[in-house]
Amino acid sequence: MLSRLALALLGLFVLLGASSWLGLWGDAASITTGLLHGAPSGEHWLGTNAIGQDIAARAAAGAATAFETGLAVALLSTALGGILGMLAGYYHRGWPDHGISWLLAVIDAVPFYLLVGALAYAAQGAPGTIILALTLAFWTGTARLVRAETLKLRETGFVLAAMTQGVADWKILTRHVAPNAAHLLLIQSTITFVAAVKSEVVLSFLGLGDGRGISWGQMIAESSQDILAGHFTGFVVASLSLVMLVAALNLITDDLQDRLDPRYRRNP
Amino acid sequence: MFNLIAIRIVPVLLGVTALGFVLMVSFGPDRALELAGRNPTAEEVEQLRRQLYDDRPIVVQYVYYLKDLFTLNLGRSDSTGEPVTSMLARTVPNSLALLLPGFVLGHLLALLLASVAALHRNRWPDRLINGCAVLGMSISFVVVMMSFQVLFASRYGFGWFPARGWSMDSFGQWLSHVAVPTLVILFVATGYNVRFYRAVLVEELEREHVRTCRMLGYARWRLLAVAVLPNAALPIITRLMYSIPSLLVGGSLLLESYFGIPGVGKITFDAITNGDQPVLKAVLGISSVLMAITMVLTDRLYRAIDPRLTA
Repeated sequence: MLSRLALALLGLFVLLGASSWLGLWGDAASITTGLLHGAPSGEHWLGTNAIGQDIAARAAAGAATAFETGLAVALLSTALGGILGMLAGYYHRGWPDHGISWLLAVIDAVPFYLLVGALAYAAQGAPGTIILALTLAFWTGTARLVRAETLKLRETGFVLAAMTQGVADWKILTRHVAPNAAHLLLIQSTITFVAAVKSEVVLSFLGLGDGRGISWGQMIAESSQDILAGHFTGFVVASLSLVMLVAALNLITDDLQDRLDPRYRRNP
Repeated sequence: MFNLIAIRIVPVLLGVTALGFVLMVSFGPDRALELAGRNPTAEEVEQLRRQLYDDRPIVVQYVYYLKDLFTLNLGRSDSTGEPVTSMLARTVPNSLALLLPGFVLGHLLALLLASVAALHRNRWPDRLINGCAVLGMSISFVVVMMSFQVLFASRYGFGWFPARGWSMDSFGQWLSHVAVPTLVILFVATGYNVRFYRAVLVEELEREHVRTCRMLGYARWRLLAVAVLPNAALPIITRLMYSIPSLLVGGSLLLESYFGIPGVGKITFDAITNGDQPVLKAVLGISSVLMAITMVLTDRLYRAIDPRLTA
């Protein structure tokens, strides 16, 4: 019941994001189209912000940005973490394992915002900075998980049988190890998606993004002066959108974990 | 002990400093040009490069950076000219005083809630606590921060505390400034911590000696204290210990920059936005050294707690 509601909510946000991608809102998100701090009306469903931009259009554009960042980071870090994690686990105690484990330890030793900040400093506002930084920070979790799972799979009968028959390593990895670790990758990618959406908001709130797209984090940052003066609409719209999307995704992740990963089954 | 340092810690230390160095020096903006001021002549820029060792190979520059780091010769901030060591001495206590109450209270609260949940597994207290944890995990840090500021520190809410700023002049002053950030930390971190502690406790509660204790009629809290927590100590200590480096030098970029608190997070944030390389390099270097110390201490603690590991 709860997870159906979550899926419906997710679908709603996909439609909202898609409406912005398809350009249904025109330029309303980025140019002044109404009064300053305008009240909700037929023309501006949720009113306008401090400089007269349509809040509903900006929320839709924010949804599009959230999905772009979440999808890109989830795909990239799952691919990177999956491949390197499998290699490290399969060549346990060999040089790939030592090298990759060292890299994991190094990246995890840097506090998150320092890593992202150093990258933001280095990239000097190049496009995709946020996606790059978040991927760099998040792939390690996936890699650790996949490495541990591969270590276990390597001791199973079917993998040992394939190894003794002299099947090539890459074939064992793609035919026997990867399919059996796929459920972990799916769960981990939803977890990464949520983390990326939340972090994107924090980074654009701090102004560390490339500043090109419109993000809920930007909307929240813009409204930080407004709320102390009693204009709550922009803040409420952006934060409610964020909370609903993240809550829906968290519920879906829990549900996936219950269904796919026997270790996490909460109602055995 | 020696093996731990030689095999794990030194490579990580070198890796972190190298990562930060390559990111900031190789990819970052050209520092000589930024420092040279307006309309520099080619000779002036060249001279600055020599001063900054920018004309040397990158490996040599990296070795100089390591030497500076270990002799605590951290240089001066590019934007204010203040020595970086004095900036850190000024800001570390503030960050610690800001984050420590939330850290301690947050972990105690989370452990308490997780114990209740784990002992009533799959019954209503567990479901309620888990539901609240998911809700808490879903609400963004920035949203909580701004809502609490309006709720507790503005004329639209209770207006009990100052809206921003910092003071440690007296205990009362400190308490009134630290209250809202602490509530924010509690709200944001408790969900994650409860889920972590609950998972650890549930796993331990399923073990056979715990079943035996239950059969012997141990009360719930005695069961927890005698049979569960000692065995669950290792993962809990790991989580606590590894939060210490970011508690000491990470500070909180978000809280400090939003509430205007002069801590390490604030100078780091300013350094990122102003491109202040010496400050960034120092903060990154020191946090990696602290991480190394944490690794050694955690290893010692493990051995002190679990006699099997010394054998």
